[in-house]
Amino acid sequence: MDYSETAERISRKFSQKGSEVDPKKIETRLRRLVEEFGVQPSEAERSVTNELAKEFNVPALGSGGGAKGTGGTEEKKIGDAVPGEWVTIEGKVVSVSTSASPSIAQSGVIADESGAIRFVAWAKSNAPPMAVDSWYRIESAVVDEYKGVSSLKIHSGTSVKDISAEERPLIPQTAPIKDLHPGIGSIRAKVVQEWDASHERMLQSGLLGDETGTIKFVIWKEPGKERLEIGAAYAIYYAQVDEFNGRLSLNLNTAIIMQEETDIPVSGGETSVRGAIVHIAPGSGIIKRCPVEGCNRALSRQNYCPVHEIQPNFHYDLRIKGWLDDGEKTHNILLQREAVESLTGISLEAAKEIAENNPLGMDEVFLRMRDAVLGRYFICKGREIDNRLLATACERVRFESGEHATLLNRAGGAA
Amino acid sequence: MSMNARDMPDRRDGAFKREPALRVFAAELRECRYQFREGEDEKSPTFVLLPTGERSNRIFLVGTLTEKQRQGEQNIFYRGRVVDPTGTFFIMAGSYQPEAMQQLAKVETPAFVAVIGKPSLYQKPDGGFTVTVRVESITVVDKETREIWTLDTAARTLGRLDALPTGSSPDIVKAKEQYPTVDSAVYRKMAYDALAQIKM
Repeated sequence: MDYSETAERISRKFSQKGSEVDPKKIETRLRRLVEEFGVQPSEAERSVTNELAKEFNVPALGSGGGAKGTGGTEEKKIGDAVPGEWVTIEGKVVSVSTSASPSIAQSGVIADESGAIRFVAWAKSNAPPMAVDSWYRIESAVVDEYKGVSSLKIHSGTSVKDISAEERPLIPQTAPIKDLHPGIGSIRAKVVQEWDASHERMLQSGLLGDETGTIKFVIWKEPGKERLEIGAAYAIYYAQVDEFNGRLSLNLNTAIIMQEETDIPVSGGETSVRGAIVHIAPGSGIIKRCPVEGCNRALSRQNYCPVHEIQPNFHYDLRIKGWLDDGEKTHNILLQREAVESLTGISLEAAKEIAENNPLGMDEVFLRMRDAVLGRYFICKGREIDNRLLATACERVRFESGEHATLLNRAGGAA
Repeated sequence: MSMNARDMPDRRDGAFKREPALRVFAAELRECRYQFREGEDEKSPTFVLLPTGERSNRIFLVGTLTEKQRQGEQNIFYRGRVVDPTGTFFIMAGSYQPEAMQQLAKVETPAFVAVIGKPSLYQKPDGGFTVTVRVESITVVDKETREIWTLDTAARTLGRLDALPTGSSPDIVKAKEQYPTVDSAVYRKMAYDALAQIKM
């Protein structure tokens, strides 16, 4: 077996780092490992490289052979990094987050022109802490994957070097919402809806939209985080795109958010369904809601909130849950208070009055509302999320003589 | 009988798919002669095959309730007749649908009603067939709603008729087998006559 070639390769790597190692010396070590200790040649190469790296205090160079069988790690653009690879990248740290786990020193997002990726620096890596807006060269990090999301792991064999000296502009590329995939994403979008917070740690959640679609977003409470303004347009760079049950959502805590002057048309999300209401589900009508700030859950008849228990100081609300059927498809609909009031002609005040003074109580409101809308034709407009149309506006369908004439022609024309 | 995607209830994250309510005139529903069940399960839905080539597990109809009758001693149920521009729907609600039965009991005839229900086919002792609609809900509506329903049902019927000659869906293929003598001109005329009854 010829060790000189391998020895040359290792020697070259060290001379690139400014450390001269005699190839002969390397060759001796390799030979010893392979011939005396029966080590596989690729493993011997890796072992000798690491040994020398320690000796010369050179940050690890990655395996010279090892499982990859190639020399060193490849220099890559972030956008091209594939899970399972050892890579060397250069990028700008665009956000860092504090970590909950003591085994993680730092995590955040690093970006270059081709894309962005989450990074995790293990505490054991002894990597220098990285600063937002600085450029770094990260050598021999591992691209990992968890639930379809790639991340860059900075371990004890990774070297991290500040290269901010060479000034490089970085303009993030935004993508249409429909093209987002789990990982890190940048978009330009408008806040189209704001939802009741479902968790006390949540600062804001809602829906962002652009020309191609909509996506749920969430901002968790953290110092310095601000709420987005409904109806305003934003450039959102490097948000975390998560996937749950096949649906994507954006976590904006890591993102750089800038309000935009120009409006963004949102077309994709808004749908309009015309049909007949064929079912009104239980839980429609007048309901009681939990008064705890940020909760707003519907209470049971006994005023019990699944989280905050008995809440005698509830507030009333109106809603209708049901099915709107166009003859081909049945749409699950949820009407909010304003839509319910205009549809049924029963205001929240009137409904309260009925609920408190009628022997059937809240059931009476349900029955009156059911009788007012069931079996009638409506056009409901809103956003379809998780197969449910959250209708913000509904109007009665009126008889149109133009439609009548067209149909008469259609039926008679071919007879 | 094959299962196709449309009939597989999608239970993933509670996204249950409800069978749509078809729009069909009384004169067409009356002609149904073929009923089938999708799947072997006890709870599998039963479908009535419309002559115009679509299966129906649920229908939505609007017409005039002209008669209703309470029947039965132990097991009380109500029967009713709902008239549309083309003919009569036979509806019923029994003690298995107490809500629907009480709703029907409350309606004073005659009245415009909207009915959501499940059609099923029965063979009478004399060999003839009747299609009865088991009521899921019934509400009193106005005349305008009936007219909008007539437009809607005419449009849906014409849509089915247009697809019939060249369509290759399993329902159309089965309809051609089961109803070989169907003349689509008859149904087209039915739709026309229904529309023509609406006075401006």
